[in-house]
Amino acid sequence: MAIKIEKSFQAPEAAAEVWKILSDPRSVASCVPGAQVTEAVDDRTYKGVIKVKLGPTVTDYKGEAHIERRDDQNRIIEMIGKGQDVRGKGSASMKMTGTVRELPAGGSEVVTISELNVVGILAQMGNRMIQEVANQMFEQFTKNLRQRLQQQASGAAVSGAPEEVKPIDAGSVAASAVLGLFKSKPKE
Amino acid sequence: MLTKTSPEIGGMGHPIKRKEDLRFIQGKGNYIDDVQLPGMVYGHMVRSPYAHARITAIRTEEAKKLPGVLAVITGEDLAKANLAWMPTLFHDKQMVLATGKVLFQSQEVAFVVAEDRYTAADAAELVEVDYEELPVLVDPHKAQDTDAPILRDDREEKSNLIFHWEVGDRAATEQQMKSAPVTALVKAFFPRCHPAPLETCGCVIDFNSATGKLTAWITSQAPHAHRTVFALVAGLPEQNIRVISPDIGGGFGNKVPVYPGYVCAAVAALTIGRPVKWIETRSENLQSTGFARDYHMEAELAADKDGRVSALRVKTLADHGAFNAAAQPTKFPAGLFSVCTGSYDFSQAFCEVDGVYTNKAPGGIAYRCSFRVTEAAYLIERAMDVLAQELKLDPAELRRRNFIPPEKFPYPSPLGWSYDSGNYQGALDLALEKIGYNELRKEQAERRERGELMGIGISSFTEIVGAGPSHTFDILGLKMFDSAELRVHPTGKAIMRMGTKSQGQGHETTYAQIVAQELGIPANDVAIEEGDTDTAPYGLGTYASRSTPTSGAAAALAARKVREKARKIAAHLLEVSEEDLEWEPGKFSVKGAPGKSKTIQEIAFAAYTNFPQGMEPGLEAVHYYDPPNLTFPFGTYIAVVDIDKGTGEVKVRRFVAIDDCGNIINPMIVEGQVHGGLTEGMAIAFMQEISYDESGNVQGGTFMDYLVPTAVETPSWETGNTCTPSPHHPFGAKGVGESPNVGSPAAFVNAVVDALSHLGVKHIDMPLSPWKIWQILKEKGVTQ
Amino acid sequence: MTSKRAVDITVKVNGKERSAAVEPRLLLVHFIRESLALTGTHIGRDTTNCGACTVLLDGRAVKSCTLFAVQADGRELRTIEGVGNTSALHPLQEGFKEKHGLQCGFCTPGMIMSACALLEKKPHPTEEDIRWGISGNLCRCTGYQNIVKAVQYAAEKMSASTPQA
Repeated sequence: MAIKIEKSFQAPEAAAEVWKILSDPRSVASCVPGAQVTEAVDDRTYKGVIKVKLGPTVTDYKGEAHIERRDDQNRIIEMIGKGQDVRGKGSASMKMTGTVRELPAGGSEVVTISELNVVGILAQMGNRMIQEVANQMFEQFTKNLRQRLQQQASGAAVSGAPEEVKPIDAGSVAASAVLGLFKSKPKE
Repeated sequence: MLTKTSPEIGGMGHPIKRKEDLRFIQGKGNYIDDVQLPGMVYGHMVRSPYAHARITAIRTEEAKKLPGVLAVITGEDLAKANLAWMPTLFHDKQMVLATGKVLFQSQEVAFVVAEDRYTAADAAELVEVDYEELPVLVDPHKAQDTDAPILRDDREEKSNLIFHWEVGDRAATEQQMKSAPVTALVKAFFPRCHPAPLETCGCVIDFNSATGKLTAWITSQAPHAHRTVFALVAGLPEQNIRVISPDIGGGFGNKVPVYPGYVCAAVAALTIGRPVKWIETRSENLQSTGFARDYHMEAELAADKDGRVSALRVKTLADHGAFNAAAQPTKFPAGLFSVCTGSYDFSQAFCEVDGVYTNKAPGGIAYRCSFRVTEAAYLIERAMDVLAQELKLDPAELRRRNFIPPEKFPYPSPLGWSYDSGNYQGALDLALEKIGYNELRKEQAERRERGELMGIGISSFTEIVGAGPSHTFDILGLKMFDSAELRVHPTGKAIMRMGTKSQGQGHETTYAQIVAQELGIPANDVAIEEGDTDTAPYGLGTYASRSTPTSGAAAALAARKVREKARKIAAHLLEVSEEDLEWEPGKFSVKGAPGKSKTIQEIAFAAYTNFPQGMEPGLEAVHYYDPPNLTFPFGTYIAVVDIDKGTGEVKVRRFVAIDDCGNIINPMIVEGQVHGGLTEGMAIAFMQEISYDESGNVQGGTFMDYLVPTAVETPSWETGNTCTPSPHHPFGAKGVGESPNVGSPAAFVNAVVDALSHLGVKHIDMPLSPWKIWQILKEKGVTQ
Repeated sequence: MTSKRAVDITVKVNGKERSAAVEPRLLLVHFIRESLALTGTHIGRDTTNCGACTVLLDGRAVKSCTLFAVQADGRELRTIEGVGNTSALHPLQEGFKEKHGLQCGFCTPGMIMSACALLEKKPHPTEEDIRWGISGNLCRCTGYQNIVKAVQYAAEKMSASTPQA
């Protein structure tokens, strides 16, 4: 099941500051809810785990992320990640392109375009559920990233440990999936 | 002709109330999950999330550590006992538990057994499996591409093609096609659907090591066949295996195959030494058990300018999933699909079918369709409508011009069948009258003027059921006869055991009515038993509408054997010769002296107390019936639909079903069967499909997506009958359970296409969801 | 099924008080079928879609596969076994037999319970009322037509006799 997700958000910090975090897989991982880098194979390849909780069910994905392209000048990063559930319930792979650009009035904008492919039991739930899970994860990611940017700006010690895994509320995912049905979407 | 018995006797034609109802309405049925044995434990299946992947490791230690877990069985364990693979019902083999690799999402990978079902489910979550994903094949059209992944490395031939089958005269048909003034082509897909009986599949298996006997309660439509397969696969002596089919909550063909769950439960029972219960969940049922259809069909008709058809050419691609687990007679890899010439008189025909493997659930079972007959009927009925549209002819008129006329029966079809009897015009006329066809056409014209969308769809199908004669039919070598064993007790009551197995068709009542008809013993005095292989005579089970044509025939003939013996006893009691006796249901009387008579009850008593010297005591008979031919029920269905332009929703306004199944045993039961089958046909036409995305993920694997109609969506069905008996059946009956599912999808689709034909629509593939219809309306610019 | 976290519950089942110690996650339908050995209530085994497990809890038709046994603590439960028996069939049971409202019988107990609840609320239902009233119960065999007739039969019989069912 292939899903395209486009997300963007704005931050008050300068593009260079944001790029510092976004171009470093370890920092990115520390902002993704439930993710952890376990090994740096080389400067482009990292092994890690990510725990996705949907209500009472937990899926532990173990996999690898590889930086395909990193353009420090234009601040574009392309990553491919692939993971398998450790118990054999499925797999997920994602190709993400992230860009940071300077906003004319100050601050910066982060745009991510991702292509997500899910195989397994979760995929049976359908497009909409997966979209909502991805949405919720991205929202938490954004929150964490903002926090991290602030910490970085204020010079406070950046916590190396990942955020506590907050289970994604199945109820709210379901609710937003249903609400999504009524929002007019220009394209699927 | 059939003598009518009194209502007290309740022979053929009487709508007597069902005897089995009493326990069901009180919730006292005995279904598989009601079977409780002391010490019973529960099994739970671990399944693959991937459609195609190599298994690199399975770790079961965590699962085994959980308190209450008794065993975790994997394919490797089974392989040691040569049980990792089992034969399918169509000469292929199927993995019981995956070894090496998995071939479809939801495939069985490991079997956990625990003290209770909750622990078993917990333990199943703890089993860890490492997979290496492989490229997935879900499009059957790509199965034979040079770069397609080869799915079955267990087969010698490294190809995804299972079979190529042809029948008919290719050259002559091509010739007709080329020279015909008119041709019409339709590409019709019959989507993958699923019988989805309300009760899922399951078993309770118990091995008694002291006696060496294996008792298996299984939701099985064919208990004897299952017993023989078990004997062959498990290597156990067949007399030590007892298969009991308890009350079954709906089968529809889904409960014919032997499923991995049964084999795993048996292995577990044998190794653990306690009875093992395994009942699958609904998602498991929809995603891994016998699906139906998935036929990509193409039909081309050749005709003259008046619509008189001459030739039919059919090409079909059959998607069988990962294993060919279709329950089909050996010589017919595409089942009875070659009945696709339908009710029409073609001079030439040619049909070819290619079956392929894909990464989907295995099967292709007969879902209420007598081995692919639904696909065939759908194809020809759609094709006729496409032709009618081409020629701007009324679809009823086109059919009229092409029906096989009554004088041509028995009719040899160009694809090799001998149709026993038929009166297609009669059924069509009655249906047209009942629905008020001419007025409806007028109404349609008026509504069209106002921009409203109304359609009328006709399906004049012919079915082929009652498999089948031993010279042509067998399943895994077992010939498809069936049986009845009748025993009359001293007090004139009786018990009859059959080789079939009802899953709701009312056998306990209808078979008794056959005995009532033949012997005059009241139907309520006849007990009917099915499903216990220790006591029932060997039969091939109930599916493909075969019970009445085969076991029903056996019942009649067994009863006639009993009657012949009864005549001898009556002659002895009345002290006359046999020729001086005449029979009426329930008694023999002396010709010319009606006061001198003996009732069947008196005769039964005498069979044990006062029989002629030298005669074998008792009053019973067994008959194994090898049908000389199949039977050909038929009918005409007409659907009237209205389409909502704003939502694309199709409302079935009226539906008239005229069925001809020859002589009817119980009209109330026949009507019920028709209601049920029409509802299933409607569901298939409008709301059901099991599809797979490009990664092989099942879409439509639960009732949330695979929709079953409720009382709200289901319209009222109007039914009726004509009666054209089968000349070769002992009481002229044909079988009817599947006709409604066979004939109705085309009626619905024809109606919807008819509603849109003025906009240039020629064909729409099922399911006709509101979204699909709405998109067509939008494209044609007629949405509200 | 013993567990350290067993909870004691007492339920009035078909008029009789029954007590048991159950795991908190034990589904009501399993409690009915296994702890109480009342197997008339069936499981269609899915995500609350089919209604085969319908019972009356404090008079309301509920799907017992989607409730925990502990949620029935202190409440009144009515199952098919409490509706009628061979010597005294409930008009609904009679109706199902007279009108051929069942074939395989699997959905029947759930249907009857839903119909019971419906007739309590609407003693004179229209056909549409009936179809909506049983829309939570799936049937694969009958096409619902005769089930509707069965419920109509019962409604007539029940209103002909005393107003109390």
